[in-house]
Amino acid sequence: MSLIPTPDTIPTSWGYFQFFLLLTFPLHLLLMNSLLGSSFIAVYAHIKGDRQARALAYELAKVLPLLIALTVNLGVAPLLFLQVLYGQFIYASSVLMGLFWILIIPTLIIAYYATYWYDFKFASLGRAGILVLGFACLCFLVIGFMFSNNMTMMLHPENWSGYFDNSSGTLLNTGDATLWPRYLHFMIGGTAVGGLFVALYGRFLTRREQQLGDYASAIGMKVFRMLTIVQIGIGIWFLLALPKAQMLLFMGGNGLATSCFLAALLLIAMVLVAAFRSKVYATAGLLAGLIYLMAFMRDFVRGGYLRDHFSPGMLEVVPEYSPLVLFLGTLVIGLLLIAWMVRAAFTRCVD
Amino acid sequence: MNYPVWYLPGIGGGFLIALIAVTHVFVSHFAVGGGLYLVLTERKGLRENRPEILAFTKSHTKFFLLLTMVFGGITGVGIWFIISLVQPAATSLLIHTFVYGWAAEWVWFLVEITALLIYFYTFDKMDSRTHQLIGWIYFIAAWLSLFLINGIIDFMLTPGAWLDNRNFWSGFFNPSFWPSLFFRSFFSFMLAGLYAFLTSAFLKDSRLKTDMTRYSGKWSLISFLLALPCGYWYLSILPEPAHELVLGSSPTIQTAGQYALIATIITFALILLLTIVRPALNSKPLAILAMISAFIMLGSFEWTREAARRPYVLNQIMYSHGITVAQADALQGQSFLAQAKWSAVNEATAENLSRAGGEIFRLQCYACHTIGGVNNDIVPRTAAMDFPTLTTYLRNVIHKRPYMPQFLGNDMEAAALAAYLAGDLHGREVDLAALVTPTDRGQQIYNDNCIGCHDIDIVETWAERLSLAEIITGLESLSSLNEMMSDFTGTPEEKLLLAGYLHSAAAPAVIDGATVYEQNCTGCHGKETLLDWAGNKSKTDITGGLANLASLNAMMAGLSLDEQERAAIADWILTEQRGGR
Repeated sequence: MSLIPTPDTIPTSWGYFQFFLLLTFPLHLLLMNSLLGSSFIAVYAHIKGDRQARALAYELAKVLPLLIALTVNLGVAPLLFLQVLYGQFIYASSVLMGLFWILIIPTLIIAYYATYWYDFKFASLGRAGILVLGFACLCFLVIGFMFSNNMTMMLHPENWSGYFDNSSGTLLNTGDATLWPRYLHFMIGGTAVGGLFVALYGRFLTRREQQLGDYASAIGMKVFRMLTIVQIGIGIWFLLALPKAQMLLFMGGNGLATSCFLAALLLIAMVLVAAFRSKVYATAGLLAGLIYLMAFMRDFVRGGYLRDHFSPGMLEVVPEYSPLVLFLGTLVIGLLLIAWMVRAAFTRCVD
Repeated sequence: MNYPVWYLPGIGGGFLIALIAVTHVFVSHFAVGGGLYLVLTERKGLRENRPEILAFTKSHTKFFLLLTMVFGGITGVGIWFIISLVQPAATSLLIHTFVYGWAAEWVWFLVEITALLIYFYTFDKMDSRTHQLIGWIYFIAAWLSLFLINGIIDFMLTPGAWLDNRNFWSGFFNPSFWPSLFFRSFFSFMLAGLYAFLTSAFLKDSRLKTDMTRYSGKWSLISFLLALPCGYWYLSILPEPAHELVLGSSPTIQTAGQYALIATIITFALILLLTIVRPALNSKPLAILAMISAFIMLGSFEWTREAARRPYVLNQIMYSHGITVAQADALQGQSFLAQAKWSAVNEATAENLSRAGGEIFRLQCYACHTIGGVNNDIVPRTAAMDFPTLTTYLRNVIHKRPYMPQFLGNDMEAAALAAYLAGDLHGREVDLAALVTPTDRGQQIYNDNCIGCHDIDIVETWAERLSLAEIITGLESLSSLNEMMSDFTGTPEEKLLLAGYLHSAAAPAVIDGATVYEQNCTGCHGKETLLDWAGNKSKTDITGGLANLASLNAMMAGLSLDEQERAAIADWILTEQRGGR
């Protein structure tokens, strides 16, 4: 008997969920990357220790908790839509690694408090701050590893039978050849993008402190350029580690997937050109597009893995569209409120 | 059955859910009420032109931010994680049914964190009107989060009309939606006051400390008084059997109720003391005591809400073990293991008996029972029963207990589970042959030899006035009864078994009180309970008392003994009393 659970029905066509998933997931990635890169750069600057580097570490300290809050929030939406489309896979694989999966929560709480500690007690912590934030960075790396495990384990129902030897929730997917390149792709690529965030933040800082802002932008762009080059190597490794069927999707196997891949290659070239010319805004704009393309490609890979078992179009729809209207209405109101508040924060402050 | 089970027999998944959920709700309710408290306290400071109140509000906001955003926000995600791990089937159903409700809740979560961060970081830096407006947006977003989640968690206890129409709105605005929403709202306002007791206790300026304590106390007092009738309203709309469970028929809820009562009294007394009698008495220990008692109040409420829907995780929709009512109905008379996706064995046989039983335990019992853990430990609950008794109990009695789902599976699977419990957990002898009673074997011999030509009625008439020995003699000379028959030529044992079966068929066997007791009562209580209850009662009183078991203890609602069984137990009790004491 197949181990794949029977899925529940969905209230609207699967395309809506696919749209919301692919809309929100890259936003989570952008935030997660910013968090990762800012944390590492803050630790680096703090270790470097000169006046300007410390000032940068402190500026970053102030945004880290905000980035965590937003990363988590923007992770909730794609995880929700993922569970709607692929619940029978993600619930099962989560259970198999249950202990590690739930440990994400206390790990995150500790890391979150560590960043607030680092921010609020920056001066009194002194050099010890490096340890505090360094520990938070370690927590982030561990959490990322757990996510990489679960997101790949859910794609391999054929490996789930390990459960019959170990049901204590301590299985991992380390036997998967794509796990390590994938994990490194997210962490190194993420840190690169985080460098770009620091560069953007530097541009924002220049309004207040020209010198510090320029310093931040320079470090951020340097990290972005260096790691993006490393990232290209890891990307190739990742691509080659994919099973042939999935890899060939991008080599003409699937028209849309191949187009995405070609467009991504083009964007990477453009991003690099912009980055080496230190054009921060242009790099950021192109990169946001690139992340969206990569999320689409990732979806093709997932579809390829599960092709023999399932595609979201197989989900039974029991139509009920009024709750969708509730969500869309709420989203519009919520975004308007957020826009107004953010604007007020920047325009109506005496400071 | 549909999903794998994260198996931690010594801990139990329910414990992990409770651990995360109870701490989360205590903070998340504060996140709602505290929002209103912040913005109104800021207004108070502005109106009275007291900068020290504004400074207090600002430092309270920092405490609020660190507690609600970090701990509250992440444990909220944590509940989602832990229920996905422990109750994947129920989580999947809730996610798929209410996906757009959850999505809307996510939007308010985003508005909440944006508003709170801006409110905190712009304190003293923004014009006060805009700043208060952002505070109001925070509070409204947080309350709307509560509004949305409230609908979905109340659905778990009172799905209402959704059961018939599967309509999102029927499930969302379910029978307990409004009372629960009001109760939770007032409770959250009360908590806001109690948390502020704590931050006020840290104030050095004694006048300010007294003022803020009294002000916070008024919050708590008014909200407390408003929450009480809402709690009553909530109880009164609960459908049966949840209502009855809450009103005392569930021992776990009774315990929770006692804690709730004591905690409510302490909370009320402390609020009165710090609000009306002597606000100056506010101190860190007192404030913490008030918070602990409020924590117990809320914990008892949530515990009761969870326990009231047993044996379901989603009332009348899905049992605690993740099997829906519809699936359970379809499984009637079928093999359970053959249809369980995540079982290591797909059939119970004489060879794999206790292994199959272990799988069944994991899939049907582990949702509520631990092995040696704190929560509903199965070991003492099965200590009084041996293998055959447990098997009978699983087949006949378990489903009559109001808070337990029926056993799903065929007779061999019941034996397998009994073998696992009695054999593996208690080290008792497991012998499948012990399940076969002499009557069963006699009937088998009858079926093999006689049923081809005549049915039992004719034999009963023949055996009616015969003794066992006469029946045996008759079997040896069947040809003299009817020339179409040949004399029975089985072994002496078979002859005895067949004769025994015919004898009992003709004259129903005397029911043995000890057996009735073992098969019906030992699952929950020992002999002493019965003997104590019987005391000096006469046989008539005992049988009369046993006629209505629910009136003896509401936990026995659903159980019943027929007249013969009652008489047999009464005789047995009287014999035991003479012999034992």
